[in-house]
Amino acid sequence: MEPFERELLELICTTCNFDDVEMDKIDRHAPLIGPESPLGADSLDALEIAVTIQREYGVRMDSENTSRTVLQSLATLAQYVDSNRAH
Amino acid sequence: MRPGPLPDFSHTQSAHCESGVAASLLRHKGIEISEAMAFGIGGGLFFGYLPFIRLNGLPLVTYRSAAGHILKRISRIPGISMHQQKFRDKSQAMAALDDALAHSIPVGLQTGVYWLPYFPSALRFHFNAHNLVVYGKEGDEYLISDPVFPGPVRCPGEDLARARFASGALAPKGKMYYLTRVPENLERRSLIVKGIRSVCKMMLGSPFPLIGVKGIRFLANRLERWPDRLGKENAALHVGHVVRMQEEIGTGGGGFRFMYAAFLQESGVVLEDQSLADYAALLTQAGDSWRQFAVIAARICKNRARPEDTYTVMAESIRQCASLEENFFRELEGWVKKQS
Repeated sequence: MEPFERELLELICTTCNFDDVEMDKIDRHAPLIGPESPLGADSLDALEIAVTIQREYGVRMDSENTSRTVLQSLATLAQYVDSNRAH
Repeated sequence: MRPGPLPDFSHTQSAHCESGVAASLLRHKGIEISEAMAFGIGGGLFFGYLPFIRLNGLPLVTYRSAAGHILKRISRIPGISMHQQKFRDKSQAMAALDDALAHSIPVGLQTGVYWLPYFPSALRFHFNAHNLVVYGKEGDEYLISDPVFPGPVRCPGEDLARARFASGALAPKGKMYYLTRVPENLERRSLIVKGIRSVCKMMLGSPFPLIGVKGIRFLANRLERWPDRLGKENAALHVGHVVRMQEEIGTGGGGFRFMYAAFLQESGVVLEDQSLADYAALLTQAGDSWRQFAVIAARICKNRARPEDTYTVMAESIRQCASLEENFFRELEGWVKKQS
């Protein structure tokens, strides 16, 4: 897992109160949201993640298609945030 | 009847099924149009809080116009003709679908989501106004462009027939539709102005207190009293339902406000009018405010509320949305008046 992906995972776990996640065991390509998510995140969590990402990094996810694509996995989220935030 | 050659139908994933299908059918006929533009000229934005209509025991809250409204407005555009048909009999309905496919015509269908087997079971719910396009048939399987999926899907005939005749609220009654004629070009200026005018009228001018900006304030007042009236658990169920209708069910987020902002932005480019882009920014602010409410609501629903997350704060947040939208629609109404 890349350092920035780890940073995002920690932010997600803090935001959504996922206390018992073994971060080192999370696959960066595993689904982030939905029944197959190792975090057990659902659509309400997805909403909070999207708003937190916007607040912390200034990157919007405001179309359903964007959210769907971006929140596929930790890897896709990291890539989207990294390429859209002001460096 | 044997299916005809498969039309070269291009699948595009969209946020909302009705505007997505409308845009796909128009594009197939050679009219280049985005989902946001179809949503805007179809007058798709709305707000209504209708507690006397219940969905799974919860009050109806809607952020978009009634099911079928967008397609109806698009079918009335000068130069566009749309064939629409409903059925009483399943086999007649499927035969009519096969007949259209035999002529290589992509067909829009209204269906019940619950009966479509390609939906993951977690996402199946009893919603009978889901639109999709059938563009071919192989054996007993129909080839479907379902706008909420990333790629084309397949569905056995028996399941599709059941989905077309789902019973309950908004029963599709086998409804099918397809475009028979389109103009060479859409005269976008008048369509944009008419679409915006109709939305402004509903949001500001409705005499009913449950509709438009008044309806948003009505929801705020009701929601504030939910914990006392319904109890903590039931209040959380109600608020979760409001958020799901706002952020899911193909809204594009912010209760369709972001999608409408995209429409205004695109319209600003088409009409070379910067003010529309400025209005889009105002509506995006309103969409963000809806999301702020939704985040508090989500924390309450997930039992991770912070001390400051209360129903009073949520109600205030919704009143803030109402004020932002009132200001936005007044400005937009002024713009419409200047166009005539």
